[in-house]
Amino acid sequence: MNCVAVRDQLPELAVGVLSPREQVALERHLEWCAGCRKEAAELGQAAATFAFALAPAPLPAGLEDRVVADVGRAAARPRTGRRTRTAIAAVIAAAIAIASLGWGAVMAGRAQRFAERAAQAEQAKSQALDQFQRVLDTLPFQARADETHLGQLAPTPAIQRGGGAVLQLVSPTRLDFVVVIVNGLPSDPSLAPYRVTLKDARGRVLQGGTIAKLDADGGGQAFRQFRNTDLTGFTTVLVRDASGRLVLKGTVDQTTGA
Amino acid sequence: MEQQGSQAPTERMPVYRKEKAGVNGRTEGPLLAREEQQLVEGLLAGNEDAVRALYARFARPIFTLGLRLLGSSEAAEELTQDVFLTAWRKAARFDATRGRLSTWLMTIAHNLAVDRLRRETGVTRPTLVLVDEVPEVASAGDEDPLLERDAAVRALQALSDAERTLLVRAYFGGLTAREIAQADGIPLGTVKTRLRTALIKVRRANQDKDRL
Repeated sequence: MNCVAVRDQLPELAVGVLSPREQVALERHLEWCAGCRKEAAELGQAAATFAFALAPAPLPAGLEDRVVADVGRAAARPRTGRRTRTAIAAVIAAAIAIASLGWGAVMAGRAQRFAERAAQAEQAKSQALDQFQRVLDTLPFQARADETHLGQLAPTPAIQRGGGAVLQLVSPTRLDFVVVIVNGLPSDPSLAPYRVTLKDARGRVLQGGTIAKLDADGGGQAFRQFRNTDLTGFTTVLVRDASGRLVLKGTVDQTTGA
Repeated sequence: MEQQGSQAPTERMPVYRKEKAGVNGRTEGPLLAREEQQLVEGLLAGNEDAVRALYARFARPIFTLGLRLLGSSEAAEELTQDVFLTAWRKAARFDATRGRLSTWLMTIAHNLAVDRLRRETGVTRPTLVLVDEVPEVASAGDEDPLLERDAAVRALQALSDAERTLLVRAYFGGLTAREIAQADGIPLGTVKTRLRTALIKVRRANQDKDRL
């Protein structure tokens, strides 16, 4: 989206009537555009004025102590929180299960003809989506569809084999995380570890985890949870081998949910 | 360095401690950006004084908004608790130089209320429980007027009745610009322009004052 299109929608963002998809698209732009961000903040402040202007209702007895206790309990736990760590453990377990299903084998460059390869890539994409959905179903919380985003990784000309898939959770209420699953990469141990990085439109880079070694099918997985970083806008996913050579690249579509 | 730290202990004292001590009052007086940042840092650390100071300032408008949007005291109470927990989770991302604490908290409250309505109704646009009532333009005489409310009510005086009604239909009624345009039989661009103009008027009225 460009600034003109974004500013056209900022008043509706301020009053909270955009759809989740429209909101995510706008927020991606606001991540890097200081001018639009400033205007969004000012319009949001104006809209919030309405909430403050309501005739105040009396607060229920005991609510203050419940709020204090809620925050106290949350702050007393490690920042990641048991629940979120459990969720991550489930993701990891599911990711390993997925890797063993062998969907990536069809992306391993075995097909010779281009059309065949393209058809198989489509099939792999469909399988990846299904299997990531299974990952989401295993989570011990209901991941909202508009908070989970998928992407595909394609091999670079330097390597011409392998592929992968990416799952991101980008949530205002939970710690964001990324899971990357690869398959069909050269299983030469000297090429490992593989490192995942995430980039946004401003060129900011985040480490997205490491794949220490690959299995016999050239498969493996990386995951990383972000304590204080919002993954909004970090849509470019890169996988490099131990020498720093780019082997896989792809984009996560944060405008739509999984 | 140590000496420097002991030079102005009062100035460096977190705002929530001052408020507890009654130096700055519990709910009154404008907050500087630095003080807002301190409060949120206190929230992040789970400091009880900071949480109580935030509650004293903002719980009432948050609860009131929840009551108006969700329609029951129980739902508004849950919303208030969710807002403070969400603020704690997002506290590390708060930057007082980018926006005000009051706006940040009320945006969280509004978004959570809208999310809840969307979940419960299963639609992409909220069907808000509300509102045939426009926030008051000027009403002195509340027993315990909050500074934020006084300032907000004054800012809304900058709007015409039509502009105020338009904003209420969107903010409290959940109507998109397109829906308002269709309902009123006017071009979409006109609705968007009016919405923007009304928000800018409120913003300018707010700018005429110091921080809430």
